[in-house]
Amino acid sequence: MTKDKDMERLYGERLKRYVTAMRNEKPDRVPIRPFVAEFTAKYAGYTIQEVTFDLEKALGAARKCAADFDWDAVVPNMVHVWAGLTEAIGLKYYGYPGIHLPADTCFQYREPPEEEAFMKGDEYEQLIEDPTGYLFNVWFPRVCGDVKAEGQPTSYRNNMSFLKGGMAMMSCFNALGKQSELLRSECGTVSAISGILKAPLDIITDKLRGYLGMCTDLYEQPDKVLAACEAFMPHLLYMALSGADGEKNVPIAIWMHRRCVPFVSQEHFDKIYWPTLKPIVEEIWARGHQVLFYAEGRWAAHLKAFAELPDRSIIFHVDQDDVFEVHKVLGHKFCISGGIPNFLLSYGMPQQVRDFCKKVIDTVARDGGYIMDAGAIMQDDTRVENLKAMTEFTREYGVY
Amino acid sequence: MTEQNKPKRKPGVCIPWEEKLKELPPISGDKQLVQRTWEQSDTLGYIYVWYCLLAW
Repeated sequence: MTKDKDMERLYGERLKRYVTAMRNEKPDRVPIRPFVAEFTAKYAGYTIQEVTFDLEKALGAARKCAADFDWDAVVPNMVHVWAGLTEAIGLKYYGYPGIHLPADTCFQYREPPEEEAFMKGDEYEQLIEDPTGYLFNVWFPRVCGDVKAEGQPTSYRNNMSFLKGGMAMMSCFNALGKQSELLRSECGTVSAISGILKAPLDIITDKLRGYLGMCTDLYEQPDKVLAACEAFMPHLLYMALSGADGEKNVPIAIWMHRRCVPFVSQEHFDKIYWPTLKPIVEEIWARGHQVLFYAEGRWAAHLKAFAELPDRSIIFHVDQDDVFEVHKVLGHKFCISGGIPNFLLSYGMPQQVRDFCKKVIDTVARDGGYIMDAGAIMQDDTRVENLKAMTEFTREYGVY
Repeated sequence: MTEQNKPKRKPGVCIPWEEKLKELPPISGDKQLVQRTWEQSDTLGYIYVWYCLLAW
């Protein structure tokens, strides 16, 4: 009973600290919210293959890290692709340890060659007309090995794909819901995010046209790309809100990939990417939810665009951008997170990690509105002693 | 979000209730209950395909 009360008190303190920082205010101390992925396997004594295939082990490893480290919030399972589901439906675009990759290698996304893209360049009208119908009738048969297209004879394997896939997804959702409860009751740790968002141009590129195909489309049929992005907007808003935190404490995460300069031109960012993402974020904020911009790579060319958003509507996560420069541009409006270089956590020494964290706490976190984290998710190359150094130093030095 | 973003098949819907209703005999009793139950299950199919696209 006492332990339960202690955990609940700890959870309450951490939630308040985390939420206060996300609202760009000053909490009692700098919150720590590391996005640890395959690092959890290494720390808990599992193999990469085990946490990729065995969901219970993956969730257990995440809880062990949360219990052993003094972290305020974590993602319930940052090894986010559970092979049990994707292999059940034969998803073609993942490479898995022990099947397509060496057993000790993190899973990979495998983009097909341009000529084998999951959506053809002349199918925009069909996609725009009915995105959900396109996904079921065209996309699924191309990305799932057993699914038959409309008009083809059905099969045992086709039927089993949907049955197993649906059951596996419900099983996964149930496990993740339980995981959030266990993180709270066993570790006093907050589940850092709830709900998923992708930018329309990002998702159409990543899972449909591929990077090279989209590059061609942006020059040869930009109007259709824009129309497709607009057609996706209400669906992406719906999906973001369907998984959002009912208490409106933790943010919806948007995973931002390759739609920044130089992967796209400034013109394409200005005319397609941003006009079809910004209204979604504004609508989410109007409904009381923040969005965590997990800005993978470098987004310095677009910080002024992001500054157009309402104060406190987002948390901007820094990967490879200069966290000090980002803070100068966005810090007056939004909470900043991350910015601790992954190479430092993987190949540096603990004192170097402490020195970098001190600089960040002294400048970016000086007035609150900062959350300690690495730049990108931490895989098995992150050194345990360096993550301990980041955690312990922030706890000791990051007190307001 | 503007009018131009209103899709033919609404978010959360795979098979609209209006389409399903045409296949059913006249419903007696609580028609809203039947509709609501259909739509709740239908949404799961929608979430399945969009979640696969977004998260997996």
